Amino acid sequence: MKTTKSTDRRKFLLAAGLGSAGAVAAVATAGNKVKLPAAEAAAPDPKATAYRASAHILKYYKTTEV
Amino acid sequence: MDAVLSPVALKRALPPEEAARGDFYALFARLLHNAPDAELLGAIASAASIPAEGNAALAAAWRGLVDASSAMDADAGLEEYEALFAGVGKAAVSLYAGFYCGAPSIDHPRVRIQGDLAALGLAIRASATEPEDHFAGLFDAMRVLVAGGAARAPAGVAEQRKFFQAHVEPGVAKFLDALARARQANYYRQVAAVGAAFFALESESFQLD
Repeated sequence: MKTTKSTDRRKFLLAAGLGSAGAVAAVATAGNKVKLPAAEAAAPDPKATAYRASAHILKYYKTTEV
Repeated sequence: MDAVLSPVALKRALPPEEAARGDFYALFARLLHNAPDAELLGAIASAASIPAEGNAALAAAWRGLVDASSAMDADAGLEEYEALFAGVGKAAVSLYAGFYCGAPSIDHPRVRIQGDLAALGLAIRASATEPEDHFAGLFDAMRVLVAGGAARAPAGVAEQRKFFQAHVEPGVAKFLDALARARQANYYRQVAAVGAAFFALESESFQLD
């Protein structure tokens, strides 16, 4: 049953010590002042010179799908 | 007068083990996105230990990273980061998942990552200059799925597992192995050790549910 499996997964993670890994929380907060790449809706900047997932690139990517 | 009802945003606290997973993803994303600065090194150096009675490999690797962070300074960190991941031509260690999966020029993982991110309501940040299969981006996406963020609630385990198994798991062990073996790696060897222990746990836990 799903509930049992979820409990197993939680037990596993807790047994691994993740439940008391609050150690990582403060560290993650200190690190996250830097903006990371993913996790935001994108509107391509036409003036960008570095890699961007521009409409052109997206169109090219589409052509590579099998 | 009619009462005006406004939607109430319920913010459930994450269980501690899920919060810790989100924090690990945030930390790995940050350390692969750019070199650790003095603030981050200081934060890791003063972090508490992970109990050894849990996963011994994770606890030992974390202790190694904490110790290394107290001995490291930001300049040396930047130098090592650039020696490992930057440089003209081929980098010593590739930060791109596609590299470790033998990405073909057709059906490249970047295509599928874009599609899967979009299905989750996510997209690469407009200011990001890295392709979608950069491990920092993949880990950041996992952080959002685990802990919520970017205007969405945490995803269910099934959704997390799907993204992890499709985009993170196929390349992450090879990447961490390459990082651990790189002759330029010193501080990042400790990062690789924590990563290896953490992602072994992730893979195993996703088998459970």
